[in-house]
Amino acid sequence: MRSSFVRLLCRMLVVCMVALPFQANAGLIGTDQVVTAEQALAARGMVSSVVSRADVASQLQSLGLSPETAKDRVAALSDAEVTKLAGQIQNLPAGADGGAILVLILIGVLIWYLVRK
Amino acid sequence: MAAAAALSGCISLPQTEALSGHAPPGLPPRVELEKVPFFEQSDFMCGPASLAMVLNAAGRPASVESLEPQVYLPGRRGSLQAEMLGATRRAGLVAYTLEPKMEALMRELAAGRPAIVLLNLSFRLAPIWHYAVVIGYDTEGEKFIVRSGRKPRDEWSYPFLEYLWKDSGYWAMLALPPGVLPATAREAEFAAAVAALEQAGGKREARESYRALLERWPDSLVGLFGLGNTEYAAGNLAAAEDAFGRATRAHPDAAPAFNNLAQVLFERGRLADAETAARRAVELGGPTRGEASKTLEAILARKAPH
Repeated sequence: MRSSFVRLLCRMLVVCMVALPFQANAGLIGTDQVVTAEQALAARGMVSSVVSRADVASQLQSLGLSPETAKDRVAALSDAEVTKLAGQIQNLPAGADGGAILVLILIGVLIWYLVRK
Repeated sequence: MAAAAALSGCISLPQTEALSGHAPPGLPPRVELEKVPFFEQSDFMCGPASLAMVLNAAGRPASVESLEPQVYLPGRRGSLQAEMLGATRRAGLVAYTLEPKMEALMRELAAGRPAIVLLNLSFRLAPIWHYAVVIGYDTEGEKFIVRSGRKPRDEWSYPFLEYLWKDSGYWAMLALPPGVLPATAREAEFAAAVAALEQAGGKREARESYRALLERWPDSLVGLFGLGNTEYAAGNLAAAEDAFGRATRAHPDAAPAFNNLAQVLFERGRLADAETAARRAVELGGPTRGEASKTLEAILARKAPH
């Protein structure tokens, strides 16, 4: 029992060594957040983002939305968000699953182990 | 022991480390927003469920069913962050992205505001993204209280939350009623959040939030400019003139403010003042020079016959 636990831990160790070295700096704020204010002003100056909005709307349609729904949803986004989404919809995080219980338990064990060490 | 050392080498939880044994000053030791309603998610619906919780907490009735068509993306089997923000605006609320810090979460909770966080329930290479709602914290027990998935109430230790949260860049959002500043408001970020609400059609709500922004930061260019535009949209030309006038005095180089001031003065029949402002806008140039030239032409055309 104990040795199988250790084996599991070692496997997780390997996964985490591969997966984690490129984590972002926690304290940094994304540049886009800083420039958004300027973009909002530019938008009022009629600098149009019509093209990227149409682009995002058609991508949303290809992912299962009706044209009408896609249009309404894009209208609720800021220019900065539209720019970020354009061409990236397949890659950006899409929050979904709350049922990944097993993974959660594994992570819990890992954290617990780290904290009590 | 070697394994533990290796593990701690590859996982770093800087925020947990900073907060362990050092509760941020000026915060109550324990907060739990019990009144935040719980909405259970069915498969893949944590986006609509989390949103329903914070929208209802902000006084906007919503359900998983009403929000699904606004945020859920069938082809991705999930909901994008941008659309969580967009749906918040469609409810007439300011969607504000928090500073990526646990302490910011705590300060907002202490001010009575639940936050949606984006979590990765798996490892970085094979992420399983998930939204949950943080409704409380306990600095003595060093844990957060969350509503997540099928659980109406769960307690997560600092390292547990940080581990799940860090892959999203510690992404968290608030849904704020009009006229309310976040406890951790930053000028540029809040101004952009209000401008996005205005752009999405919530002009009346945005106007109230611009006013709140200006109470804290009286010279905010986006605030003054946005207030002018939303007053104009509401048909209050005098108030719009006042806001654009303040913008030009606080920011003598802001060409768009001079252009809009000129337009409002023009519509109020004050052609001489309008011309002065429009000429200044043209002089300043920049990306809005084209609009400024048109404004000036319109003013001069009206003056010409006399």
